[in-house]
Amino acid sequence: MAEEFLVVKDLHKSFRDFKVVNGVSFSIKKGEIFGLLGPNGAGKTTTIRMLSTVLEADSGDVTIGGYSIRQDAAAVRSIIGVCPQELALYEDLSALDNMVFFGRMVGLRGSEARAQAMTNLEMMGLEDRAKGKVAKYSGGMKRRINLAIALMGKPQLLFLDEPTVGIDPQSRNNIYETIEGLRNKGMTVLYTTHYMEEADRLCERVAIMDGGQIIKMDTPYKLKGEIGSPEQVTLEDVFLKFTGRSLRD
Amino acid sequence: MKRAFFIAFNEVKLYLQDRGDLAFSLLLPIITFALLYGAFGGQTMFEGTAYIVDEDKGTYSSVLLEQLGEVEGLEVELLTPSEAETKLERSDILLVLYIPEDFTEALVSGDKAELVFRQRGNGEQWGQVVSSIVRGVAEEINQEFQVRGQVSESLQGKGISQDQIEVAVQEFLAQERETPVVGVREEVLGGSPDFVNQFLPGIVTMYVLFAIAMAARVIVEERRKGTLERLLTTRLSVGQLFIGKFFASVSRGFVQTLILLGLSYAVFQIFTPLSFLSSLVIALIFAGTASGIGLIIASIARSEDGAAWIAVVFSVTSFMLGGTFFEIARDSAFYTLSRLSINVYANDAFNVIINEGGSLGDVGPQLGILAGVMVVGLLISRLIFRVMPGGK
Repeated sequence: MAEEFLVVKDLHKSFRDFKVVNGVSFSIKKGEIFGLLGPNGAGKTTTIRMLSTVLEADSGDVTIGGYSIRQDAAAVRSIIGVCPQELALYEDLSALDNMVFFGRMVGLRGSEARAQAMTNLEMMGLEDRAKGKVAKYSGGMKRRINLAIALMGKPQLLFLDEPTVGIDPQSRNNIYETIEGLRNKGMTVLYTTHYMEEADRLCERVAIMDGGQIIKMDTPYKLKGEIGSPEQVTLEDVFLKFTGRSLRD
Repeated sequence: MKRAFFIAFNEVKLYLQDRGDLAFSLLLPIITFALLYGAFGGQTMFEGTAYIVDEDKGTYSSVLLEQLGEVEGLEVELLTPSEAETKLERSDILLVLYIPEDFTEALVSGDKAELVFRQRGNGEQWGQVVSSIVRGVAEEINQEFQVRGQVSESLQGKGISQDQIEVAVQEFLAQERETPVVGVREEVLGGSPDFVNQFLPGIVTMYVLFAIAMAARVIVEERRKGTLERLLTTRLSVGQLFIGKFFASVSRGFVQTLILLGLSYAVFQIFTPLSFLSSLVIALIFAGTASGIGLIIASIARSEDGAAWIAVVFSVTSFMLGGTFFEIARDSAFYTLSRLSINVYANDAFNVIINEGGSLGDVGPQLGILAGVMVVGLLISRLIFRVMPGGK
């Protein structure tokens, strides 16, 4: 049985009096792709921010690769990669410059950063545009660069916060294939998305969050089985069944 | 520390990519310098034009015109009689010098020659100055003739040729021009009267203050782009981020002042090599002070507009309190208040170096205060900075 690489215990976070994350606990095994699903405002991004050490938790404990985010945040940051929901890029720089810069930030030497940047660009099908300004890229290309940067330094745990928002099917497919390739190489991934078919395709297990809490957690197959025949029911049906049909935001 | 350097390097790279920003920040000091040069460059006591009608066109009218042409700040413009009449009638010009047609002939024959000024009213101030200059030059020619006449008269009948007399007279006059019997010396009270010297410190400190706005903007901009959050999930610490941004901001502020000081050095020649280097040291420390304050603003502000406004208000207040372009009376309440402005210390330091010929040792207290504010600025900004509310 694979070891647990990420362990979250009773995580809490409030902004003023509003509880954004309220007692979240889950764990992810090494090499597993774990989906964190939920409607807008469910607390997914806040959870990822706490796990990636940007935001301090009010209480609870998290260990990643054996390091506590409270006591050894620097060690945690050395083994994680984050692909944020927003495109966090320097648009005035080229894709290569962006990647080399972030490569240096994760501790790579100049030549290593450049070599890894080229490998990642190739993986994303962007090697021909390596020296083009990011500002001139399409939305899909920017999303792929956003993911490629997160892979710099070959992190052991990758946080992907809605990495396929607003892009064309080709770019989306490229990202799926990349993530599947990473799974085959044994990378652990925490994935959030609003696209249920995406979670169904990629994730071994998913947790459905709502109101700052995890309300369901299992494999997509078993969750579908809870409300009907797994072959006929979709993960979206499951999601709507447990989070309700009322509009959010 | 290496990562801080990469942050600064990346910032400089982004700065070089943004052509609008680059042009603005590099061209502005050059434009300011050009304005400074236009206003004060090559300044003389007087600048004007002598309008002259040369009806003589002889040897001595040419001598007179040549000598007038050598007067600093005076331009000679020749007119025909009809042009001169028309311009005087229309009041386009107020004074014209007429060299009559018998001018050379009269001088050669030893008769009295006469120059004529025709003017409207009193010719106004510049006309009177031109008139005085012409009178001075005419007086010199007059003296030459008198000397030549007296020497010729006293040597007459002594077997000395006219050529030898002429050589002796010319030698005497040359010696007189080189070492006049009555010399004139200028003594300037209160340092150099050069406006460049007076205004340059203020302009340099004004430019360095831009570093506040730059530093205030960079962090907020990173936050807006989302790169700030991303950077802080890497091995980069907040301290390294601040040091990197600090270096970048100091570099930008310093490059602008380097351009301004360098051009002033080359064109106005107001520096010695040592005073130039001393001024650069002051500019560097002041850029650090401004950047430290800019980072405090960056830590408080939540938007780029917010950062820009706080920076502008702070800069303008410092500028006004700093006595940048006017002196503040020492016994006034405003003077006490002005001690709170960082500009005061930078202006004082520049003035000591540029206008009083002092050295860095003489401005130790001012530099100490500026360096202190820089360190405190960095510490405070780090203490109050949060990636996001509730964040690290």
